[in-house]
Amino acid sequence: MLGFLLASWALAQGRLEAGVYGGPGGWTPTLEAALALEGGEAYVRLQGERGALGLAGGLSLGPLGFLAYGAQGEVGAGGLGGVAFAEGGAGPLALQGRLGYRPQGAFPLFPEEGLFGRLHLRYRLVPRGVVGLLLEGERGLRAEATYALREEATYTLGAGFASGPYLVLGWKGEVGEGMEVLDLALRLGGVNRLEAALYLGEASLFLTLSHPWAGSVGAWLGDLGLEVGYQKAPYAWVRYAWRWP
Amino acid sequence: MRRAWLGLLALGVLALAQSVAEILDRVEKNLQDPWQAVVQGQVQGPSGPEEFRARVYALPKENLFRIEFLKPGSLEGNFTVVTEKEVWNYLYLTNQLVVSPKEKAQVQGLGFSPQGLGDLKALGERVSLRLAGEERLPEGVAWRLLGTAKEGQGFASLELYVLKADPRPLRFLFRDEAGKALADLRVVEFRRTPLRAQDLKRYPKDAQVVRR
Repeated sequence: MLGFLLASWALAQGRLEAGVYGGPGGWTPTLEAALALEGGEAYVRLQGERGALGLAGGLSLGPLGFLAYGAQGEVGAGGLGGVAFAEGGAGPLALQGRLGYRPQGAFPLFPEEGLFGRLHLRYRLVPRGVVGLLLEGERGLRAEATYALREEATYTLGAGFASGPYLVLGWKGEVGEGMEVLDLALRLGGVNRLEAALYLGEASLFLTLSHPWAGSVGAWLGDLGLEVGYQKAPYAWVRYAWRWP
Repeated sequence: MRRAWLGLLALGVLALAQSVAEILDRVEKNLQDPWQAVVQGQVQGPSGPEEFRARVYALPKENLFRIEFLKPGSLEGNFTVVTEKEVWNYLYLTNQLVVSPKEKAQVQGLGFSPQGLGDLKALGERVSLRLAGEERLPEGVAWRLLGTAKEGQGFASLELYVLKADPRPLRFLFRDEAGKALADLRVVEFRRTPLRAQDLKRYPKDAQVVRR
């Protein structure tokens, strides 16, 4: 029976991401695994004393769009939790929605705590112009409106409100002969945060820096993920991803 | 006498069927070298007829096709890549590349199958075509092929025009069950040109790849 299960697991499309997270409390293993099912996938996430089991489905509309949706149930330290999510786009509209509850967070796989939600809507007003509206809530509300204009690169301008008003500036474009993608976003005011990402193809590099002081640098080198940062305390996270077939 | 008539009729049907196979074969042989073209016309969108324009790139020997959507505006920046085994749909708005096995790839809502625009032989496998005569079009005399789609194609019937002098498709007319035109598309700006597989398979390096 075990052999049959292992064979089914190996034959179906899937991915496994295993790692170790080190923070002030010591080192904790992290594990994410997903297995493709007819029309979707089943996945598990485990970190320390918290675990989640989820189901995700998807609807492909060919060149018109794609919609993914799902839900996960959680058990572990503090009690039960759960998250429902939907994201994707169809024609000129894209959305990302997430609503959940967990009594106790566990960074990095279960970062939010309490009741949390996020709704990000984007609408293509004109072929090269997209308006965005973001509402996010976890211990406080954040609202943000943006306009992204695509010329050769994509320029984003916006404003938001969290503990106070803030400005959003963004730039994303292809750089260099290898068409590497550089993505920069800066929020200044009520939220102070710089996010930078460079996508080189086989490797990707990430940097975040915020005030009050927190930040991280990370890289995906093929299937190996490395991240170090500071979030109330220093941390490091190393993981490796296997994908099959 | 009746048998003889039936025999002649059967031979006629067979000859016409052979003609379609022969025409598709001629198109395939004529389009062996890399080529590109623009497909433009009208498609039936959710809110009525919409202008459609797409650039098609083809590397027939490698079974590789790329369709870049230019119009309607909601599709600009999206593209479809058809490989030997998979269909890749890149969605600009969500920056996702949705990869599906060819047999699972569906094109709902567009009213027709964009894969067929570049790969006529594959389209011929999903539609039962028959030769309905010849017609003079601005580009020259063309064969007029009519066909009924097999189930799940997103359209019920197809009218296809193939240029006789340089066998290649000139016009696709996709219709629904009621005979209403879902897409009326013409092939323009056709030219044979060197293309590289890596360019046809190119997608943004930050795109999220979703396998379905």
